[in-house]
Amino acid sequence: MATPLPDSSQKYDLGFARWVYENVKGGDQLSMCMQCGACSGSCPIGTDMDHGPRKLIMMIRAGMKDTVLRSNTLWNCTSCYRCTVRCPRGIPVTSIVQGLAAKAVSLGYADEVVTSRFARSFWWSVTHFGRTDERLVTAKFYFSFGLAEGIKRGLGNLKIALDLILKGRMHLGLPHKVSDTGGLQAILEKAAEIEARDQLGEDKS
Amino acid sequence: MNSKDARKKYVYYPGCSSQGSSKHLDESLRAIIPELGLEMEELDDWNCCGASVGNIGGGPLPTTALTGRNLAKAETQHATDVITGCAACYLNTHGANERIKADVALQNKVNESLAVADLSYEASLQVRHACEVIVNEVGIDKIKERVTQPLDGLKVAGYVGCQTVRPFANTESGGNYDTFDDPEFLDQFAEACGAEAVDFNVKTSCCGGSISVISPEKTLHLIKEILQAAEDAGADVISTPCPLCQTNVEMYQAEINKKFGTDFNLPVVFYSQLMAKAFGLDGRKDAGLHRNTVRSEKLDILVQNA
Repeated sequence: MATPLPDSSQKYDLGFARWVYENVKGGDQLSMCMQCGACSGSCPIGTDMDHGPRKLIMMIRAGMKDTVLRSNTLWNCTSCYRCTVRCPRGIPVTSIVQGLAAKAVSLGYADEVVTSRFARSFWWSVTHFGRTDERLVTAKFYFSFGLAEGIKRGLGNLKIALDLILKGRMHLGLPHKVSDTGGLQAILEKAAEIEARDQLGEDKS
Repeated sequence: MNSKDARKKYVYYPGCSSQGSSKHLDESLRAIIPELGLEMEELDDWNCCGASVGNIGGGPLPTTALTGRNLAKAETQHATDVITGCAACYLNTHGANERIKADVALQNKVNESLAVADLSYEASLQVRHACEVIVNEVGIDKIKERVTQPLDGLKVAGYVGCQTVRPFANTESGGNYDTFDDPEFLDQFAEACGAEAVDFNVKTSCCGGSISVISPEKTLHLIKEILQAAEDAGADVISTPCPLCQTNVEMYQAEINKKFGTDFNLPVVFYSQLMAKAFGLDGRKDAGLHRNTVRSEKLDILVQNA
């Protein structure tokens, strides 16, 4: 029987560790961690993280659901995979951090998180065009903070944008698209539906 | 045709940055690959790989389904191998392909999704990074043989970055082509082209990846260290295989100079641009060297044709 996601009334709920084990890619390797810290020590951006990967793993095992899903460690990961290749126990640390980030979004822990905003702008481009339109993703991300902040951020990067335009490295004109955007959207919708179905199945059982 | 005689058929997946910020990687790869004796045709109607944040924006299965669509299309082109020059495209496409191959349940879910567009993926393909193919299938000697205009006197800092080698370079499915922490292939490429590879000890440091796009204030110091190490090593140019590394390390130099009081003006190029030049190809049309925004005298000489 699958473990339901614990509610947050209990600060420590071992059910959370089991839930991560069952629902996050790589989560089944968590029990292998010996807390050596090679992951956090290898992290290029560890100083910007509230906990870092080593402590995050310990907190998962302790069942600290809310602290884990609100941790900025999930949002500062650059996907450099140094922790993954250096882990002496072969734990796919990056996958776990990224998988938790995806779960935090779907569970509503991350609506205002900057990385999450960027991810939404990115996914908007993917679902509409089948491709990343770097220009529109950036603009949509900037303006997700509101009109004034969007203009401010845009102006702050004006020189970079102009350089790219001058060198022919910013696409101008209509976005590049796949030919069957309808088919691609149908695939993505179906995949989301299957993912939701699996999730529901696990929670019901 | 006898299977022994069957040649590998490469289908080329350019990725989204090929139509924007990394046009010069795409142009130079298309120029050098035939010169190295490989044939490739473009993946038909390819879509985005999901990049670094697809999992977060769309969820894990939809992101895997994106790759499934690309691979299903590649199979209809009768490919044996998919080749890409982009680090993120490689990470996502190779990673998803290996997961699909190892997990029938996942393959079924991907195919259930693809079926709505009359596609399916039989998990028959290998997904490979262009650098791995050049190391394993072409070989350094072949690069040397092809060089007609050696890049004499050019000092190159080979900046590999992360996802080109991590986590797959040192794995069987990744072709075992180099190490995670101290890869040598970029230096070998530069030297095969007649340039000098300088001793550069941050070759696999992270440029901040997409965090440098989202929140550069958190990662400018990472890029500064890369630039500083290259400058200290006396490099004329930084050479990289990764689209995001190229853009981040190049574009943020002005902001880094402002923030840290430094004076960096170091061109950042793709290894494939250098190769195109060393092969005697056109500095603009083939090497795309007019597209790099940070310019130096040496780069301006390089872009000109002899």
